[in-house]
Amino acid sequence: MIDLPVLRDVETPAPRERFWRSPADLEGGLGDLHNGEFMPGASDRPDGASRRDFLRIMGASMAMAGLSACRRPVEQVLPYTRQPEEIVPGEPLHYATGMPYRGVLRPILVKSHEGRPTKIEGNPEHPMSRGATGAFEQASILNMYDPDRSQRVLRQGVGAEWREFVRLAQELDGATRIAVVSPPTSSPTIRSLRGRLAERFPGMQWITYAPEGNDPSRTALRTAEGRTARPLYRFSDAEVIVSLDSDFLGPTEINLLSNTAEYAQNRRMASPEDTPGRLYVIESSYSLTGGMADHRKRLRSGEIPAFAQALASQLGIGELPGGGAMEDAFLRAMVRDVQAAGPRAVVVAGDTQPPEVHALAAAINQALGAVGSTVSYLDVDEETESSQIERFTALVTDMHAGEIDLLLMLGVNPVYSAPPEFDFVNGMGRVARTVHLGLHLDETGQAAEWHIPQTHYLEAWGDGRAYDGTLSVVQPLIAPLYEAAKSEAEVLGLLVTGMDTPGYDLVREQWSAYLPGDAEQAWRKALHDGFLQDSSYPETTPVLEVSSFSVSPPGEEETEVVIRLDPTVLDGSYANNAWMMELPDPTTKIVWDNVALIAPAMAERLGVSAKYDKGQYVVDVLEITVDGRSVRLPAWIQPGLPDRSVHLTMGYGRNISTTRPPRKARFFDLDHYTDIYADGPLANGVGENVSVLRRADMRRVLSGAEVKTTGDTWTISTTQEHGYMEGRPLFRKATLSEFREQPTFAPDAVPPLHGQEEWEDYPALWQKQHPSEQPATTENLYYENQWGMVIDLNTCTGCNACVVACNSENNVQMVGKEEVGRGREMHWLRIDRYFVSGEEDTDNPAMVVQPVPCMHCENAPCEAVCPVAATVHSPDGTNQMIYNRCIGTRYCSNNCPYKVRRFSFFNWTKTLPETVQMAQNPNVTVRFRGVMEKCSYCIQRIRGAQQTARLAERALQDGEIKTACQQACPMQSITFGDLNNPNSAVVQARKNPRRYEMLAELSVKPRTSYLARVTNPNPELEPQG
Amino acid sequence: MGHSTSHSTETPLVTGNLSFHELTELVARHAEKKPPMGWYVAIGISSLLLLNLLVMIAYQVWNGVGVWGNNVPVGWGWPIVDFVFWVGIGHAGTLISAILFLFRQRWRTSINRAAEAMTIFAVICALLFPTIHVGRIWVIYWTLPIPNQMDMWPQFKSPLLWDVFAVSSYFIVSLLFWYVGLIPDLATLRDRARSFIRQRVLGIFSMGWTGSNRHWRNYEKAYLLLAGLATPLVLSVHSVVSFDFAVSIVPGWHTTIFPPYFVAGAIFSGFAMVVTLMVIARKVYGIEDLITLNHLEKMNIIILLTGSMVGFAYITEFFIAWYSQVGYEQYAFINRATGPYAWAYWIMMSCNLIAPQVFWFKRLRRNVPLMFAISILVNIGMWFERFVITVISLHRDYLPSSWGYFTPTWVDVMTFAGSFGLFLTLFLLFLRFAPMVALSEVKGVVPQADPHFYDQESS
Repeated sequence: MIDLPVLRDVETPAPRERFWRSPADLEGGLGDLHNGEFMPGASDRPDGASRRDFLRIMGASMAMAGLSACRRPVEQVLPYTRQPEEIVPGEPLHYATGMPYRGVLRPILVKSHEGRPTKIEGNPEHPMSRGATGAFEQASILNMYDPDRSQRVLRQGVGAEWREFVRLAQELDGATRIAVVSPPTSSPTIRSLRGRLAERFPGMQWITYAPEGNDPSRTALRTAEGRTARPLYRFSDAEVIVSLDSDFLGPTEINLLSNTAEYAQNRRMASPEDTPGRLYVIESSYSLTGGMADHRKRLRSGEIPAFAQALASQLGIGELPGGGAMEDAFLRAMVRDVQAAGPRAVVVAGDTQPPEVHALAAAINQALGAVGSTVSYLDVDEETESSQIERFTALVTDMHAGEIDLLLMLGVNPVYSAPPEFDFVNGMGRVARTVHLGLHLDETGQAAEWHIPQTHYLEAWGDGRAYDGTLSVVQPLIAPLYEAAKSEAEVLGLLVTGMDTPGYDLVREQWSAYLPGDAEQAWRKALHDGFLQDSSYPETTPVLEVSSFSVSPPGEEETEVVIRLDPTVLDGSYANNAWMMELPDPTTKIVWDNVALIAPAMAERLGVSAKYDKGQYVVDVLEITVDGRSVRLPAWIQPGLPDRSVHLTMGYGRNISTTRPPRKARFFDLDHYTDIYADGPLANGVGENVSVLRRADMRRVLSGAEVKTTGDTWTISTTQEHGYMEGRPLFRKATLSEFREQPTFAPDAVPPLHGQEEWEDYPALWQKQHPSEQPATTENLYYENQWGMVIDLNTCTGCNACVVACNSENNVQMVGKEEVGRGREMHWLRIDRYFVSGEEDTDNPAMVVQPVPCMHCENAPCEAVCPVAATVHSPDGTNQMIYNRCIGTRYCSNNCPYKVRRFSFFNWTKTLPETVQMAQNPNVTVRFRGVMEKCSYCIQRIRGAQQTARLAERALQDGEIKTACQQACPMQSITFGDLNNPNSAVVQARKNPRRYEMLAELSVKPRTSYLARVTNPNPELEPQG
Repeated sequence: MGHSTSHSTETPLVTGNLSFHELTELVARHAEKKPPMGWYVAIGISSLLLLNLLVMIAYQVWNGVGVWGNNVPVGWGWPIVDFVFWVGIGHAGTLISAILFLFRQRWRTSINRAAEAMTIFAVICALLFPTIHVGRIWVIYWTLPIPNQMDMWPQFKSPLLWDVFAVSSYFIVSLLFWYVGLIPDLATLRDRARSFIRQRVLGIFSMGWTGSNRHWRNYEKAYLLLAGLATPLVLSVHSVVSFDFAVSIVPGWHTTIFPPYFVAGAIFSGFAMVVTLMVIARKVYGIEDLITLNHLEKMNIIILLTGSMVGFAYITEFFIAWYSQVGYEQYAFINRATGPYAWAYWIMMSCNLIAPQVFWFKRLRRNVPLMFAISILVNIGMWFERFVITVISLHRDYLPSSWGYFTPTWVDVMTFAGSFGLFLTLFLLFLRFAPMVALSEVKGVVPQADPHFYDQESS
């Protein structure tokens, strides 16, 4: 019996009758003895350690040992939609938070399995996301589980303690000349910390440093009060859109989600009566926006300002010099179109263009009356300061002069990305104390005196604003994986106060200003919703100075180099992310490399060739020289580029340091080969760092480059080796007038044979015994739902968000460059990219993209040939892969006309680092080697929703089930649902006259079908492609 | 078996005017004497190749199918090419034994034993490849209809499953057929055996054969029945193998011509392999009197016939592709002849269609070195035929976005080389331990077997 004082001391009321055992007992003379059955000590061992003591101590030890593995966030975070009373094992929770991206916050929902975040979705209630995400949000979860993240505080490369840094911060006095280099951020907390830091250290310099360079739009557009104005486009209402080298639909675009959603609305066509807008793209690269264009004109980036001037003067905005040369039929036809559209036209300028072009675009929009209609300007609550490059140059000068005492770099990597003229490393050497906060011990971290591991955004409290200014709290999903990790706010907070304040307190303190009234209630609501209602920026009108500006277009013979953010690894921050390294470039389909894109004409002049060799391309290596500095990159011949324009992307050629030991394998074992993580960080040794070419002005366009061949060759792996459609009706498109003339042009592209019945009516092999007709199927409860998908090619840009979402949801493994080159990539969903042109204009074709998941054929050719029935039809009409039945004959893949099946040639998961294993979705089987796999229509989501509906005793709602690709798609190009529900969105989409089934003539009856693209070319101009 | 032909007007099937005893000596002594040095050298090399095969299989099973060159879209690479190659080779033996037996082609007797042995060993090699080529070899038995707790049967619509049945029944029937034919000869060896153990072992395998009239009657009946049973199998097994391709929807595979075309190709390659082996064996073992130039010439005629049939099929495929007006089909064939693998296609065409045409000339088809060279060319050509069908069709099918390229790895090459090790080791063991010519049958066709032979001699 446990002897607890609370039991002993309780006063029991005196009973009326007493029970007694002996007279002594009656008299109470035995004292405490009568409480126990045994004498005290009767059960104790003579050596003093009692059984109970032993159990007590062991029990406590076990409990403690268990507790030490618990990593519950100390602060309270609130689940988004369903709030069970406690965590139900296997039931994921969703939390709303936000991902900082290029200075704005992307609103997201994160799925968490027992405290382990596994999947990122858009926040459906947030006005800037509407549930969609780009590829980077999807991939960012793998950045957190990156096995090469730095894990401890380092001082001069040697392990140190955070408290040593705390002491250092406390010892600083106000006279310390501090400089902080920070990435662009929208966080109000950081902003207020910056203000307080300036109070404590009056000489503080704060440099916002974006590796891609100045933000020209920010420089160009200012409000009357001197604040930054930010354009927000409403393409849904636009009749004519003109893009001046702007890839506003591209994956790296800051405002991708809103731009694409608006543009998709413009392009969605239910019937021939709908009129889509018309998109003119004048660009130097072949961007995804260019692929969507109705008319695309290729010009070198350096020539586009002159084109903009010509456009402006044609529209009557000032007398601008230099435009005359650009006048041609294209420009005149476009101008007439723009004038006709008036306020329903809009001009967008791209990041490669100087601020003057941005101002000009805004002036044109104002003159057209488009402001308020197709574009509005937001008053970004930030004082305009001198441009990034001016401040950065001043900093570097001070550094070299030894006038900086403490340089704090918050998650930036200038040693890697700053132009070499700055000699940043040596500059750091002249600074007394350099402190680097970063996810990796990267180039800058290795050069800094102090390196502090940074928390991933899913690990720390923070805040920020979406593109439109809507405020959100960034709430952590998990305690930092590495205890030493600190957030930007925490490091800044330490410098400001000298105290080690948790990020939560800093953010709460900041947010008290935004949460009037019942602060706790409002805080909980903001956390729950993921944003603060009505907190967007007010609209404004920018003050424009369109005074003449002179641009010197590059000479005829001059070669320009254009440097952009990479569509897969961005500025290098996603370079150590396997999903992004193996994500095909949306245009070139190249993986695990960066290349120099050049036009076919330029390649011919230089004698550059790309030889197709054994499934890979062996290309010549170019040496690109700017101002005497050069970089060697493999050439890639890209049709549709202007001559004398070389396109490079940032983010490659990284040097990350890791503590992970390299893998060693036995001689007969291929573990080293199959482990993409075997030789240290993935990013190392892939591609070249192109920032060495950049000039001190950090412009993206570098004129006067020299390009020559080196005689070396390089092997490139792509996921698509053949880019032309060979005249096959795979991607179908028509112009608007053709569509109106023949609304069923898409299904009619493959007419039935003369005198034969329609393709749909063709009898199938095994028709009589077709599985879908068997009682086992028709009597099954699942039979009442029949799943189908429709993909709208009119809106799909090919931005890759769906591909990464699919990788994340379905545990798709990455295989490395060499294996991709051997044709063994595992992507369940791929985006086919084809070039379309006539015979004469093959060097300037149109580009079309087509996502290809499993078609879930009703007469699936794969099912009939499997000898062990490992791929079968489900009662709800999907084609299922039974992994543990599969013996791996690969016959199904051979017989799949769409080639969507993927085979695990090796055991990819055996060598996955532990942290990466944590990123796997527990609801999807992790496949062993030797089995086939493919898109399942996210069957785990279907079954999950069916279970939920059944438990709630209600019918399944249309739209309740979203496949991972559909959910991510910023364009909402993918419709998925129940074909048996006549009101479902997918049934409506299937009524669209543009609908066709790819390879329907094989009578495979695919459940996935496409809506053909309808372009809206200007009748005055030749349509492209 | 009656003998009504007159020996004076027909070329004798066996030359050298050998007596029955001399015949027995000629064949049986090779199974009895100590093998010559050359045999040890040969089996040494072939067992090294066999060892290499075992190492390659172990390496592949340990690491995964990825050690080969297979990929998506080319899901089937060398292993399947090798499989069809060996199955094809395995056609000649049973054809010679069964079909020629039923057609009373008595010249077959000199070569049928070795050809049947070759068939069995080739089918063993063939069975090896689909087995090791699957992703998870440890569950390969799921392709067999074994009752199990899951109530799961194989999927009977799959041609691969038909393959399992077709090839394994072909193997079993061929093995039985071969063994039944061996019984009288094993008894001969038994009777000649000197050591006790050899007598016992051969005694068991010859099943108590005494050569009595009743034994001969039963034997002939069984042999005839087995020949009748094996004949449809000769035609069916390669037809079923061709279904692996023909039943699919891959352009270049989906063709109704495949069954006859595959059977003709199989006989073609099988005879070529018999010629290759026999040309060597008759020389090495000094049995030129049994396997005469006439035998070789007859086989060359069959090679010429079947080679032309195969060549005709190649051209028919092109015609049908054009005639069908199906773009995918047309591209598949144009791509064969002009695409990245055109070299393989033209190797196939020249080896299979053009090379055997020299056999139109009697002088050339009786030229031993030439026929040896042609038979090797035909073997190469037929391997490439399977490569052309399997790999070239797969590497470019419907969606150009998924087109790919297949390159074999060193493991592919070494595994194929190793399968020759398996084949040659088994064949050398056969030459060492079994009578390589069907003695009892040859004795029935020598001139001396004619009841009136000695009449002529005495007159």
